[in-house]
Amino acid sequence: MGAPRKLAGALLRGMVRLAPQESRDWATAMLRELGFIEGEWAALFWALGSATAILRHATSAWRDWLKGKSTKEADMNNTGKKALGVGLGMLSALALVGCGLAVLRILGILFPGLEHSPWAYWLAVMAIPEAIFVAATVMLWRKKGPVAAGILATGLVMALHVAVHLTLHW
Amino acid sequence: MKLRLSPQTLLVLDAFLVRAEDWKYGYDLSRGTGLKSGTLYPILMRMAERKLLETQWEQGEPGKPPRHMYRFTQEGLRFARANVAAHAGGVGQVALGLVEG
Repeated sequence: MGAPRKLAGALLRGMVRLAPQESRDWATAMLRELGFIEGEWAALFWALGSATAILRHATSAWRDWLKGKSTKEADMNNTGKKALGVGLGMLSALALVGCGLAVLRILGILFPGLEHSPWAYWLAVMAIPEAIFVAATVMLWRKKGPVAAGILATGLVMALHVAVHLTLHW
Repeated sequence: MKLRLSPQTLLVLDAFLVRAEDWKYGYDLSRGTGLKSGTLYPILMRMAERKLLETQWEQGEPGKPPRHMYRFTQEGLRFARANVAAHAGGVGQVALGLVEG
């Protein structure tokens, strides 16, 4: 068994493990078909396409909810939906900050010394994410208010943290 | 019954119409229609969710992992015949040739 097929198998087994219950049967079905595919690269492309299909299926419930089209939506508690939206917004915002830190780390490896430069830190972790938070909040406010509120809340907490930091140290 | 009848969906419907009573495998459908897994499976999922397809795990030989199989429900068969006939002459004949070839 070559590397592409091994990678394909690992990818689909991972998808089976990670897929939510409603997508797991489909993920397993795609994994089982892998054994019948001739060609190493064909197997890898099969797995990549399958992984995309599983991700789309698994996220479709979220998309439906965000678009307000879910049939289950009517049964859901309105407060719960809003809380979920706020949580989603906060998670997205924190993920963005995490990405900023990761980028800073990578840049620090590529350009030694940059990581410790204060302007690079403020730019990657504060200025750019805060600008994105503001833009996302404005764009999402009318259609996805709870998500926008979650992003805004995270942005405000970060800004408050910076304000406290500056007050204490300068 | 809402199912977006894209050319790809029509290909899949047409492939299922060939020996409609037989169970079919995902990879065979992919080869027959020329659709990649990333295109084929979302169509199969939507069809199954809309009760156009029934699915079953193949009871194969002991020690051999079962495969997932698909075939039309009665409703799916009616839906496919009505819609593929309406779009006949295009993708339908292509798919038929591919599946049988």
